[in-house]
Amino acid sequence: MRGPPHRHPDEQREELPAVEGVILDAAELRAGDRVVYPNQGVCAVVGVEEKDIAGQKLQLVRMQREEDGAAVLVPKNKVPAIGLRRVATGEQMEGVFHYLAASFDDPELDWKVRHRDNADRLVAGGVLGVAEVVKGLHSLSRIRPLPTKEREQYDNARHLLVHEIAVSLGVPPVLAEDYVDYALMPPAGVKFELKPPPKPVLLPSRPKRRRPAAEEEDLGLSDLGLDVDLSGALEGAAGEREGAETEEAEEAAEGPGAARETAKGEGGEKRPPRRARPPAAKARKRARIAAPAKAPRKRAAAKKHAPRKAPARKAAKPAAKRRGKRK
Amino acid sequence: MIRIVTLDRIDPTDMAFLIGTLYRAFGVGTEHAGDRPVPREAERPDARLDAVALLREADPVRTFADDKVLYITSAPLALPQGPLGEPPCWGFADFGGERAVISTSKIPARGVSEASIEAWRRRLAREATHAIGHTWDLHHCYDPRCAMHPSWSQGLPADPEIDLCSFCREKSEHKIRLAKT
Repeated sequence: MRGPPHRHPDEQREELPAVEGVILDAAELRAGDRVVYPNQGVCAVVGVEEKDIAGQKLQLVRMQREEDGAAVLVPKNKVPAIGLRRVATGEQMEGVFHYLAASFDDPELDWKVRHRDNADRLVAGGVLGVAEVVKGLHSLSRIRPLPTKEREQYDNARHLLVHEIAVSLGVPPVLAEDYVDYALMPPAGVKFELKPPPKPVLLPSRPKRRRPAAEEEDLGLSDLGLDVDLSGALEGAAGEREGAETEEAEEAAEGPGAARETAKGEGGEKRPPRRARPPAAKARKRARIAAPAKAPRKRAAAKKHAPRKAPARKAAKPAAKRRGKRK
Repeated sequence: MIRIVTLDRIDPTDMAFLIGTLYRAFGVGTEHAGDRPVPREAERPDARLDAVALLREADPVRTFADDKVLYITSAPLALPQGPLGEPPCWGFADFGGERAVISTSKIPARGVSEASIEAWRRRLAREATHAIGHTWDLHHCYDPRCAMHPSWSQGLPADPEIDLCSFCREKSEHKIRLAKT
């Protein structure tokens, strides 16, 4: 199993195929092994040591970051969760270069989605995930300059990719970077014979956390201590909704023919009015602010009533004109 | 301190322009440290110089901590083949290291007119800034107006900028501030 760390404790983790080379058991690690720590870079395993931390004896895997020699200590039982993986093989690297040189479809334009996905790719996507971040942000930079945060993310991703390629191919980092940019920005007249690129990294879907309905209804306006009587307006709106619902239920009970009849006879005299006029314009406005979910229903109801009221106004206007003319 | 070492002769006025540009770009002292012969180990049968071998085998220059050495040659440079072929080589550097080399062979001819000489100097200064930038941990930049943009890119204008973009400048300044000396 792989994937980014949980965002919420109750979030269900999706089962995805593990990235190639991920270390699922700390027992696999041997001193001298070269591994990639997500977001940190290539590290060399020094060994396993035991330390007393807060009264607990912990078994820690000691690693040394190759770039600057920084020490990295990871609890042995956390190794499967952090996404530690082996340095990409030559075959994987070939796939990465073919991916980098391939034409790219439109980059993600929603910055929130893009930033979150890129962060997930850097942690859990393996070397191809890092290449995807570089390529995606590079394509975006051709459309517009990257914002500062993404510029930093692009530089970090590039740094990780270049160093992993350098270690994997056994070349100096600047040469690895030249290879990357030769694929990303080929000189004029150069065309590559590309193999189909590897499948893109699968990211776990993020279900949207929806608030319960009761939470949506209660806006906590009572806590504000406002001396406004909205109860009438709210009751009216609620009554209107109830009325509409009962009417719909009645129509459904009478059958489709009956529904057609009511539609035809909308202008008839026998039909009772659907709702009473709200007490005042101000109260209506406040009610709309207080209950935004109800507003569309109101508008729809108002539209239904509009044809009935419009002729009366039209009829009133000519009368006023006539009166004016008489004067 | 940036020490420039020439493997072939360079006009003193061009050198003066280059020294001034590097000083402005990185804010560290720059000087011409003399000439050195081309190492034999770097020579290849196709009359090009192996850039990686050249940096490894070039005669040492007396340096102190955080000094950078820039070699300049007029011979074309070659890089080892990559997964998609050999990238064009304008220069090469030790990433975060001490040495860098640039070649004037790919720069458009110096000519004799004032404009062509000026263009040649500017391009030489750009490549030098690019190579020294790598020794200060700078990666390639996507901005074609930045000196760290790849030299072979199709997006690069005919007379490219010799300065770093704000992001690369800040990053290099940060690295230089954190340097031992």
